[in-house]
Amino acid sequence: MDLLDAHFVPAVDGVAYGLLLFVVAAGLSLAFGTAGVLNLSHGTLYAIGAYTGAELSDGTWGGLAVGLAAGTAAAAAAGAGLSAATIPLARRGHLAQALLTFGLALIGGNLLIEFFGADDLPVRVPEALDSSVTLLGHRYPAYRLCFILMAVLLAAFGTWVLTRTRVGAAVRASADDPQMLATTGHSPRAVHTGVLAAAGALAGAAGVLGAPIIGPGAGTADTVLMLSLVVVVLGGLRSLWMTLLAAIAVGEVQTLGVSLAPDLAPYLLFAAMAAVLILRSQFTEPATAGAHGGGDGGSDPVAWLRRRLSASFSGRRAATATAEKAVAEKAVADRREPVPSASGGPLRRLLSGGRDDGGLAARGRKAAPLLALLVLLIALPTLLDAYTLSLAGSALALGLLAISVAILTGYAGLPTLGQTAPFAVGAYATANLADAGWTAGPVQIVVAAIAAALFSLVTGPAVIRARGTTVLMITLAIGELASAAINQLKSLTGGADGLVGFPPTQALFGGEGMVEESEVYNYALAVAVISVVVTVLVLRSPAGKLLTGTRNAEARMRASGHPVGRYLLIAHIGAGALAGVGGSLMVTVQQYLSPADVGFEIAAFALLAAVIGGSTSVIGALLGAGLIVFTRDWVASSWPGHGPLLLGALFVAAVYLLPRGLAGLRLGSGPGGRGAAKADQLPPDHDSVPAGKVAP
Amino acid sequence: MTATTAPSTAPVLDLKNLTRRYGSLTAVDDVSLRLPSGARHAVIGPNGAGKTTLLNLIAGTDRPDHGTIALGGTDITRTATARRSGLGIARSFQQPSVIGELSVLDNIVLAGWRHHPLRRGAWWRPSRYRQHAESATRHLEAVGLADSAARPAADLSHGQRRMLDLAAALAGDPRLLLLDEPAAGLTDGDIGRLLTILGGLPSSVAIILVEHHVEVVAELAETVTVLAAGRVLITGPTKEALAHPEVRDAYHATAAGQIGADRDGAPEAAPDGVRDTAEARG
Repeated sequence: MDLLDAHFVPAVDGVAYGLLLFVVAAGLSLAFGTAGVLNLSHGTLYAIGAYTGAELSDGTWGGLAVGLAAGTAAAAAAGAGLSAATIPLARRGHLAQALLTFGLALIGGNLLIEFFGADDLPVRVPEALDSSVTLLGHRYPAYRLCFILMAVLLAAFGTWVLTRTRVGAAVRASADDPQMLATTGHSPRAVHTGVLAAAGALAGAAGVLGAPIIGPGAGTADTVLMLSLVVVVLGGLRSLWMTLLAAIAVGEVQTLGVSLAPDLAPYLLFAAMAAVLILRSQFTEPATAGAHGGGDGGSDPVAWLRRRLSASFSGRRAATATAEKAVAEKAVADRREPVPSASGGPLRRLLSGGRDDGGLAARGRKAAPLLALLVLLIALPTLLDAYTLSLAGSALALGLLAISVAILTGYAGLPTLGQTAPFAVGAYATANLADAGWTAGPVQIVVAAIAAALFSLVTGPAVIRARGTTVLMITLAIGELASAAINQLKSLTGGADGLVGFPPTQALFGGEGMVEESEVYNYALAVAVISVVVTVLVLRSPAGKLLTGTRNAEARMRASGHPVGRYLLIAHIGAGALAGVGGSLMVTVQQYLSPADVGFEIAAFALLAAVIGGSTSVIGALLGAGLIVFTRDWVASSWPGHGPLLLGALFVAAVYLLPRGLAGLRLGSGPGGRGAAKADQLPPDHDSVPAGKVAP
Repeated sequence: MTATTAPSTAPVLDLKNLTRRYGSLTAVDDVSLRLPSGARHAVIGPNGAGKTTLLNLIAGTDRPDHGTIALGGTDITRTATARRSGLGIARSFQQPSVIGELSVLDNIVLAGWRHHPLRRGAWWRPSRYRQHAESATRHLEAVGLADSAARPAADLSHGQRRMLDLAAALAGDPRLLLLDEPAAGLTDGDIGRLLTILGGLPSSVAIILVEHHVEVVAELAETVTVLAAGRVLITGPTKEALAHPEVRDAYHATAAGQIGADRDGAPEAAPDGVRDTAEARG
């Protein structure tokens, strides 16, 4: 009884919190379920309502009413605007829309801070409610009780509209079959706009009313978005009652859970989210566990991996060692007499995908952009000042992360928002190694890569079962879990303060630590070049075709005996190792490490960089990362406080202007170009192939 | 050679009491079937009879709720799709399944990859890959697609995609070939070629054919199973089965219109209704 007594207030708080999340999540669910928009700016719609409500609140009922009307209207208008913005992208799949809404969220967040200031706004509730009532012997804020009532009314009203009115029927019909709805005289466009406006109104109203609970501030939008995503995933899209239950559960975890078990609560939500997603994809996908033996004999994956590694290790090591030389040689070879391709070295044939039909000139053309970029990157130290050069080093680190995202998104068909997790593993491993005195660069890189690969081996089975948007959500949960872990494991990560003051990395074994920017940059460039060359070699080899086949026609690949799950797991591990190398580089370049360097925003940036690049283009991902760092740190430094605005504009511009990414701008048909042109003929179940792959 | 007698050797396929339910709907209901090596067997029935579900159960993309599947005497009820392919089951898809971004040749290389004697190391050793390409070219010649080998598979017409899908199935050197409406949407000329290809297969390859075209069934199949609402209505020699009065009632009456629809190039899925039900439930 004592336990119940002590936690009575947080428990009731949890109900209020949960109902708030329910109203917000209902809007998110409506937008995704009926309009097909994965709206990452939904938290911003809430923030619009919260800021408006807080600004207009003056301690009277009138102020609350005006605030409610204005906040709801503003958020509804923003929702309608969102509809206009996403309709042209409807055929490009969920990923393009998600990136667009994320960009709009960055812009919106920046504008809100512009108008209302960066500090949390105080909210004045009507005086009649600004008191406490006694509830079962506990004092409890009257406003929250009143909020519970209002939220119930709002939820009931929404449910009534959806299930009992003609408008609701049209909305539900639109979710099932928009074309059928169109034949009955409703314009799908109007329904789309209406649904998003209604979703905005719900978020806005929740924002005004909930401002005293989740107040308007810089982090509001992110918190609300993440929590309502969790609610939507836990509740599923089918039943409002399940959503309500999930919302209350999340609310209780956020209040009661935090007061009962503060160490566990941060993990609980995203762990539950990941578990639900994985279980659900388990049911929809045919079970393949334990049966991946294939023709190789034996079904123990570890034993298989060991055999596989010992067989191919020597070959791969040779490839790595000669890789850099091969690129240079190739450029020369292209200009020498036309060697018949059959007598070319195996490495060179590998670069061309093992095909003999492309002439050397064609191959040279394919590699030309990469070589031009390499020349430019080598020349950079003589062109740039020290600060800009260190930015270029960060761009290389982020570029490796973007490439690893591109491998998963573009080649493996697993759009990911969670590659910051192995990136973080590599980064923290490196920082801790340096702290312990292991400052030799090769050691740091290798350890970071191995640690990240092991991490990806563990998380891989959770990721590779699902497809499309579900992967996006699972990886998001993994990324958030990693963030929670980083904040908790203070002895390893320094918590929110991050790590700083560890000795600089040495380029090779022994010698001085690198302190000069140009030294650090050259080190970063060398590591990046080796990683990129290895990646390109693997992707252009028939192994890349195995991944392409898996992405394009998974059923055919399975039916032809390919252990698809194994390919995807290997791709996931490889991409993880690459992200780990990127993380290690970032630490070396920055000389400090904070949780923000490996947060959700970075994950979204990496995804955008991959999509800007064209999803299957390594060079595109590098350029995309460069563009993002350039915008975030260089352009924004001349217009302080507007970094998010500029980045948001970059997101929006990239999604609209580069439907096939930078790679699509090239006239030649690279490995990605041809596919992108034909992607509209992909089977319909590939609706969530990356934006860069889906031509309108 | 009949479907029900295989006295000395183990049947290539032995289905026992196979049942698959989707919610309240029983798509495949207590189906038993024994096929000797080299059988030419057709499964016919009206839409929603469970034909494709039955193929999916045999291919491994779906799991039965009850019953067992044995291939050449080995129980494979719980074996994964990819592994079944290694054991000699190959299939074509109702909607031809091709890798649009890769060339026609690469499609077949990938299809035959796991069955090629030199598959180890092919993912990075070009000489191995070339050997794969040679055998893939032979498979393309067999279906008349050798001229299109370098084209991206996404450029192919519907009929060519069917042929590519068939070549992909044959690239696995199967002993049991599952064909899901291979003639749907094909022109008469293409159907002729299809019959030639299938008729020319070695007698070691057993075929299960799901097909709405009665002419194709009559030409190719020696034995027929008629499904209706998931249950076996009759199994027997083709002529007898097609002449059975209940077959006329259950199949011909509903299928006559369907055959016309297929010719218009709109192959409709027998189990589509079934899948919809399953999705609505999940």
